[in-house]
Amino acid sequence: MGHEGLLDVNDSTFESEILNADKPALVDFWAPWCGPCKAIAPVFEELQGLYGDKILFARCNVDQSPNTPTKYGIRAIPTLILFKDGKVFDQVVGAVPKSQIEEFAKKAL
Amino acid sequence: MSGDLFDVAIIGCGPAGLQAAIHACGKKAKVVVFGKPERSSLYKAHVANFCCFDEVIPGKALLESGRFQAEKLGARFILQDIVDTKTEDEQFTLVSENNETFLAKTLVLALGVSRKKLKVKGEKEFLGRGVSYCVDCDAGFYRDAHVVIVGNESAAVTGALTLLGFASRVYLVCKELSVSDALHKKLTDSDVTVVQGAWVKEILGDTGVDKIVLTNGEDLVASGIFIELGAKGAMELAANLGVAFDAETFSFIETNKKQETNIAGLYAAGDITGQPWQIAKAVGEGCIAGLEAAQWAKRLRV
Repeated sequence: MGHEGLLDVNDSTFESEILNADKPALVDFWAPWCGPCKAIAPVFEELQGLYGDKILFARCNVDQSPNTPTKYGIRAIPTLILFKDGKVFDQVVGAVPKSQIEEFAKKAL
Repeated sequence: MSGDLFDVAIIGCGPAGLQAAIHACGKKAKVVVFGKPERSSLYKAHVANFCCFDEVIPGKALLESGRFQAEKLGARFILQDIVDTKTEDEQFTLVSENNETFLAKTLVLALGVSRKKLKVKGEKEFLGRGVSYCVDCDAGFYRDAHVVIVGNESAAVTGALTLLGFASRVYLVCKELSVSDALHKKLTDSDVTVVQGAWVKEILGDTGVDKIVLTNGEDLVASGIFIELGAKGAMELAANLGVAFDAETFSFIETNKKQETNIAGLYAAGDITGQPWQIAKAVGEGCIAGLEAAQWAKRLRV
């Protein structure tokens, strides 16, 4: 499974890379032991291929970076959060269908 | 029996799993089948559209004769749920609810589909804010918290035991437990508070889950509720192995015409690969999966 081009963010880089990003950012909060996270990963990468020029696609490992998920009240993974201008624009929880993830990403456009 | 190496391990003993066992045995493979027949959706069904049976037959009878047939051919049946799967060195390791370990060269997933949702007030509203369907994924978010887990079978009991490693208090709400004796003993020896003969009526909270209202009139104060109905399903057992699901719904495992998944030596058959949910389709896919798995195992034989 390749994650080429998918930006890995953590507690210390979250502000500079996501909150201060010059375009909307879609962050996948995940963990290596999470089956549903693995299941949606290919879709996330596929969407990056389609919308990567307009939206920043990133992922945050909640095991390595516990502070960021706590800050955003995350208690289930996978959770996708869309950030716009440094603020939470919307979020979706769970391995939801591809069409729903795409609709969700397109909200940023 | 732990430590034995099987050619073909099959999770699920409905029509797909049984047919896979029958065909794999026909190829002289050493076969083991896991699961509980009464959990198959066929168990309570009455079958009227299965080729060559022109009278309505109870599903239970079909399952019994299928098992008898597979056993006669040499398949071993372990009437337990599988609670963990791993791959290592081209082998699959399966852990049963009794905590026994089994090794196999190939794995056929024929575990069907089951209902995951409770369908109670608050369940949808608090998804991701206290409501979770995956202990393995989300237990870490409930360190030192009070949590409830609901379910009657192995997923709920193993989940409750896992949660003990994180939460300060774990309530298991169940109508009646249906797990192996060994798992049941592990539960009663643990610090899990078992609330039996009750079910969840409503999930209450403000910004997140605060309280779980039970059907017996009791309220449990908790910041999280894990819904773990039935046995661990494909998402729990297969996604960790890296199995690809259909991107449209993430409910079904993707297979090709040989019933192969994207993982070498791993096959899927029956309802878990998608609709139509019919015996005819399940046995057809089971047949192919059993033959292919047996052949793959033979190839690995040195």
